[in-house]
Amino acid sequence: MEWDWNFVWEIMPTLIEGLKITLLATVFGAALAAVIGLAFAILRMTAPRPIAKTTSFVVEFIRGTPLLVQLYFIFYVLPDIGIRLPALLAGVIGLGLHYGTYAAEVYRAGIENVPRGQWEAAKATNLTTRQTWIHVVLPQAIPPMIPALANYLIAMFKETPLLSAITVLELMNQAKSVANSSYRYIEPMTLVGVFFLIMSLISVVFLRFLEDRFSPLEQR
Amino acid sequence: MKNTHFLTMLAGTATLMAVFAGPPAFAADGKLEQLKTQGFARVAIANEPPFTAVAADGKVSGAAPDVAREIFKRLGVADIVASISEYGAMIPGLQAGRHDVITAGLFMKPERCAAVAYSQPILCDAEAFALKKGNPLKLQSYKDIADNPDAKIGAPGGGTEEKLALEAGVPRDRVIVVPDGQSGLKMLQDGRIDAYSLPVLSINDLVSKAKDPEIEVVAPVQGAPVYCDGAAFKKGDEALRDAFDVELAKLKESGDFAKIIEPYGFSAKAAMSTTREKLCAAK
Repeated sequence: MEWDWNFVWEIMPTLIEGLKITLLATVFGAALAAVIGLAFAILRMTAPRPIAKTTSFVVEFIRGTPLLVQLYFIFYVLPDIGIRLPALLAGVIGLGLHYGTYAAEVYRAGIENVPRGQWEAAKATNLTTRQTWIHVVLPQAIPPMIPALANYLIAMFKETPLLSAITVLELMNQAKSVANSSYRYIEPMTLVGVFFLIMSLISVVFLRFLEDRFSPLEQR
Repeated sequence: MKNTHFLTMLAGTATLMAVFAGPPAFAADGKLEQLKTQGFARVAIANEPPFTAVAADGKVSGAAPDVAREIFKRLGVADIVASISEYGAMIPGLQAGRHDVITAGLFMKPERCAAVAYSQPILCDAEAFALKKGNPLKLQSYKDIADNPDAKIGAPGGGTEEKLALEAGVPRDRVIVVPDGQSGLKMLQDGRIDAYSLPVLSINDLVSKAKDPEIEVVAPVQGAPVYCDGAAFKKGDEALRDAFDVELAKLKESGDFAKIIEPYGFSAKAAMSTTREKLCAAK
């Protein structure tokens, strides 16, 4: 096996096409996860008991089953009841739903970590619920959440190759398709690894920055 | 690469000496001797009946492994052990030494002939489409799919059909890589793809098992010639390949060849009327 730079340049445009899809899936998946996670967290904490219980069950169910199984379900089983999603959308929903449940736990932990006294003080100073959340609770709850959410973001990014199982032509699938016609794995797979590493490192730096940016609030 | 080969040879020669305790007869046949000692050959298959099939109890059948099993038996290798692989991963897997031979209906095409050492032709078949009843998009050839901007085709990743579709000019985003026959059928039923392409016998097998009145078959696909597969060996294992060819020729002559493959629906005559040289040269 020899490393062939010419081959690397030849396959680069194809892989970059795949990388775009991977990033798209990650960005939309993360956005969806953030929203779904918040909905789950709020439902679990504030909704009436039966709804909160049901939500807890749903969250546990999604957390307790593999993402790959969920993707197959969304892609191959939902069409039986008339819901036919394009492959990429199915993938984004799968990622968003799965990581949304993780995010929900992070939100919940962050909010519950705000000392009781803060809530009581807010009440004592006659703040409305809205003011309490926006000015007292969330500013203290969000910064400690960031590292945990960041970890999930990076984990999700690294799970996107699973989408190749439901025919999304993302980075891994493009690399496989290249390997299929060239009979060479060394360059495509190495490049996939390198792309993922680069993107992960960039996100780590960015998230460090976010942490720094938000940490002073914590010490206020 | 060179080192492994040397080691294989060394191991082969060593086993040979150990087994016969005499002067090694054919040092060049190291690979075959190694397989004999080991008692089995590792083959790559795809689980695409009738070319290759794995029964519920794990027994490997299908025309390609059956022929290979018989020939290896005659060569003195007791059995074959199969591993299921994607078409695209077979040749890289062969080169990486994960299996000894590919017996999966991997049709001979010039670029594949350049990558592996094929035996003489074994199974021949034309290409077919499975599509929705009535063929709403009027798809008769890969070219038709290329010309219709709404038509999507499903094909196994790294399979002949994927390559044919791409060669006909179907853009990459309309060639959907389908992991297995069942998924392909499901995607067709769900309307995710408009045509699912496999060899004629595979499509017929799949469609007859599905028993779905909404699916019909176009066979053969216009403009796609009949292709033949062969057992594919690693470059460098030509000695083994040649030994395989000798037994294959005998098998064809004796009529046992037809007895093995014809129940599966393959034509022995088609395989016997062409040669590797012709198929590998064909464009």
